[in-house]
Amino acid sequence: MSSLCKELVTLQLGHYSNFVGTHWWNLQDASLSEELGEINSDVAFREGRTIDGQVTYTPRLIAMDLKGSLQTLRQEGCLYSTNKESSPISWEGPVTMHQESPVSKNPFLLDLDKLETGVLLAQVDSSDQANSSGAFGAGSVNRQLERVAKSYALEGSVRVWSDFLRIHLHPRTVSVIHQYNHGGETHRLEAFGQGEPLLQGPVLEDVEDRLHFFIEECDNLQGFQVLCDLTNGFSGLGSKVTELLQDSYGGKGILTWGMVPVTHPDTTPMKDIYHVINTALGMVHMANNSSFFCPLTLRGGLGRRPGPPVAFPHLTYDPSLWYHSSSVLALALDALTAPCRLRQNGVPVGQMADLLTGSGRKVVSAYGAVPLPMMQGATLPDALSSCADALPWRPLSTCPDGGGGQCFAQLLTLRGLDEQRLVSRALNGPQAPNALHGLKSGEDVLASYMASFYPTGDLAMHLLSSPSLLTPPFPRVFSSDLGEQGCLQSRYLAPGAVPPTVSSVPVLSCLQSGPALGPWLAELHRAVGALNIRRLAPSFLSQGPELSEYEEALEQLRLLARCYRDDNRGAAHFSSEDSNDDSDD
Amino acid sequence: MSAIKSLNPKAEVARAHAALAVNISAARGLQDVLKSNLGPKGTMKMLVSGAGDIKLTKDGNVLLHEMQIQHPTATLIAKVATAQDDITGDGTTSNVLIIGELLKQADLYVSEGLHPRIIAEGFEEAKGKALAFLEEVKVVREMDRETLISVARTSLRTKVHKELADLLTEAVVDAVLAIAVPNESIDLYMVEIMEMRHKTDSDTQLIRGLVLDHGARHPDMKKRVEDAFVLTCNLSLEYEKTEVNSGFFYKSAEDREKLVSAERKFIEERVQKIIALKKAVCPDGKKGFVVINQKGEEKYTFVEKCGNPRSVTLLVKGPNKHTLTQIKDAVRDGLRAVKNAIEDGCVVSGAGAFEVAVADALVKHKPKVKGRAQLGVQAFADALLIIPKVLAQNSGYDPMETLVKLQTEYKESGQLVGVDLSTGEAPAMTNLIRDAA
Repeated sequence: MSSLCKELVTLQLGHYSNFVGTHWWNLQDASLSEELGEINSDVAFREGRTIDGQVTYTPRLIAMDLKGSLQTLRQEGCLYSTNKESSPISWEGPVTMHQESPVSKNPFLLDLDKLETGVLLAQVDSSDQANSSGAFGAGSVNRQLERVAKSYALEGSVRVWSDFLRIHLHPRTVSVIHQYNHGGETHRLEAFGQGEPLLQGPVLEDVEDRLHFFIEECDNLQGFQVLCDLTNGFSGLGSKVTELLQDSYGGKGILTWGMVPVTHPDTTPMKDIYHVINTALGMVHMANNSSFFCPLTLRGGLGRRPGPPVAFPHLTYDPSLWYHSSSVLALALDALTAPCRLRQNGVPVGQMADLLTGSGRKVVSAYGAVPLPMMQGATLPDALSSCADALPWRPLSTCPDGGGGQCFAQLLTLRGLDEQRLVSRALNGPQAPNALHGLKSGEDVLASYMASFYPTGDLAMHLLSSPSLLTPPFPRVFSSDLGEQGCLQSRYLAPGAVPPTVSSVPVLSCLQSGPALGPWLAELHRAVGALNIRRLAPSFLSQGPELSEYEEALEQLRLLARCYRDDNRGAAHFSSEDSNDDSDD
Repeated sequence: MSAIKSLNPKAEVARAHAALAVNISAARGLQDVLKSNLGPKGTMKMLVSGAGDIKLTKDGNVLLHEMQIQHPTATLIAKVATAQDDITGDGTTSNVLIIGELLKQADLYVSEGLHPRIIAEGFEEAKGKALAFLEEVKVVREMDRETLISVARTSLRTKVHKELADLLTEAVVDAVLAIAVPNESIDLYMVEIMEMRHKTDSDTQLIRGLVLDHGARHPDMKKRVEDAFVLTCNLSLEYEKTEVNSGFFYKSAEDREKLVSAERKFIEERVQKIIALKKAVCPDGKKGFVVINQKGEEKYTFVEKCGNPRSVTLLVKGPNKHTLTQIKDAVRDGLRAVKNAIEDGCVVSGAGAFEVAVADALVKHKPKVKGRAQLGVQAFADALLIIPKVLAQNSGYDPMETLVKLQTEYKESGQLVGVDLSTGEAPAMTNLIRDAA
């Protein structure tokens, strides 16, 4: 229980990563009003001060994206701007102004603006509670939006991630890469080899300056979480950024999450080839440079012909909308990353990785039950008993979980069930329906349940009673049979009645390292290795890497797959006999 | 050509004259955008984004990068500007203007039936002759402070207003002179550029020492120390995990506490050793040290009065972000110009003087060129004259009239003449404006 806060610096690289990140920060912001909650918000947020002395509370975040991706968002935000902004110009001669036409804001952003000026609340009720929002008040945006009690249907209007960003960012957060365009037809950042050389010269100086700014004020930095687009050139940038982090901040943990959207707008078969190659190269390099690497996606697979997108039993999200798929991933990520942000008995990111990796097994896979299906009023033993045959979660990394069997290590997080619901109530009553109901703590219930699927392997878990709070602009992706707390309603909803707004759901998430990853990684290696890159995608390597480095990376992917063989318990074989039995993999 | 369309139906295809017209129109488009930037009387561009971000710049390269350019030829030209910026650090606007003008002049001949390849030959010939002429006309002299100030001022006055430019000029030249090591190439990384938000921009200053952009770590630290020792240390003083890849599983909170405090003890012992070192080395030293706490989050530490400073800091002050960026960009260009002058060891007259002279030399050289390539040489010579013309135009004078004045004066006096932008006249360029060669 260190009294020193273990700060975390977050990096978001790429447009889809910023979509997930924006939802994630909105979720953090929604819980800010809880004093001394289970999650310590100072891990991810930082307190600051403007020149006028106003206190600010903004994410400890560096977000990188391409020219043209910001639209309504000012690069330095408006939190730190003063009134003296517009006046002096250091030029006595003529000045011409070239002004882009202001981009239109959707109703949600317009309401946020009105909140800033107090206009919206005055409209809602004319009581004397008009706290001028100033720069910040704990959870004020959240509470004020609740009072407005509007819901926004932003599905049609979300173009970029700033369209649904609820909080203010620090001026040093957003970094725009001018060398490549976000939209349009030319200068797109599409290949791994374009992203790697970006991190030098002025871009490198800029990233280093921002990192120094956020890191030097930390008392006890635990490490970094990096969200990086895996299917475009950002995978190359991510590999260099993680290399930089590892070189400069070696002792700190680096958790890297590779983001893959379900679909890309305007994709072509050529671009699909690029996506899969970028994925393989990015995975190998970023796994090398991080404490662990975990792909996160709702796509059916990482190859060119994936299966259908992941379907959750009580979610009705639209997989083609980035706004929707990223919200589900962010909700899962909130649970997956909870252990390093706990106020008490938190596990720093380095230790989280140590639990799961070993002998080179840097890639881990994620699973989530979003939500964990629970009947209204039921307890955890009840819920798990009804999933006795199959685990209640779905893959979040495209890797199937093998339904049980062997596993090297797992890290589970359960959020949203308070103490009483973790154990069965009838402890002293008649014979319990099954073993789970006789156990006395949530940890024991969960451990016993998991043991029925994975009898071996290390298991660590965290149970949080506080759920993630779902407030606008989180999209309405829940099916109508869920109640306000995310539990299944036993009564039917009358046709035509409005289903209740779900404000929280119980979530069970798992990070796993097991033999199931071996064939999965081998499949990715086969898919990419089978591509004759010189014939099919000749310009992919035009800006690097060299063909020999490319083949070296693919070979590393093959070896990485072998680390997960169960008989070895992870020791990678380098003997030449192994290369002969590739055929019976 | 329709084969391409079958691969990509959205492809646009242009051939021969149409293709040439496409290229020329791109170059002229960029020229039009950047023309008004050139010179100290040019127009500053204020770019306001859709979200309200402001950027102020006169630098051609910066402007081109702010724009989202889709046209392939325009992209190529933008790349030229980048290369120019990388190699020289300035002159990007002039570059784009000359490219546009070269194409425009070439077009005049192409439309009369001259094959572009012949014009290109003429350009090559002209280029060789122009470079030879530059060698004759450049002024080799000792790069004393006066000369360098002249060079720096030329560059800076095109980027910021006059008073600030003159202030920065001295700072920039002194900065480079301070870090220049004889017989070694100048490493501009030794000049650190720091920015500080401040009421006015005229407090920008050169610090012979270091300015670090963070302040005291603890409120009890001294705010000012003189004659201090500075300890540079590459040990980590932070609590962090061990080198060995180990995880530990603990059963209880007490066990974990024990492990954590054992880690801490290791670090605390290190700190004690440093304190002991300090006590042993104490009182005399050669360094001065001052800390300033700025309001808000930005804090600075000044390390000054060093005995033998090998690096300096230019502290740029300004009231807002876009002014700071504008000044920083200007300072960088100025530093490059001074470095180039020192390393080249020569300068050339500015204000369009060189261009007028070389155009004249090329015309004289023309008869020695065989065949129709002569016309290419003429086109090149005419293209270079865009520089004095635009300089004059931006100051409000008639470009053709000024050009004629310049050419006449040059022929009569034989000395290089440039445009005096305050009068529109054409004086001899003995001691006035100097450009880096």
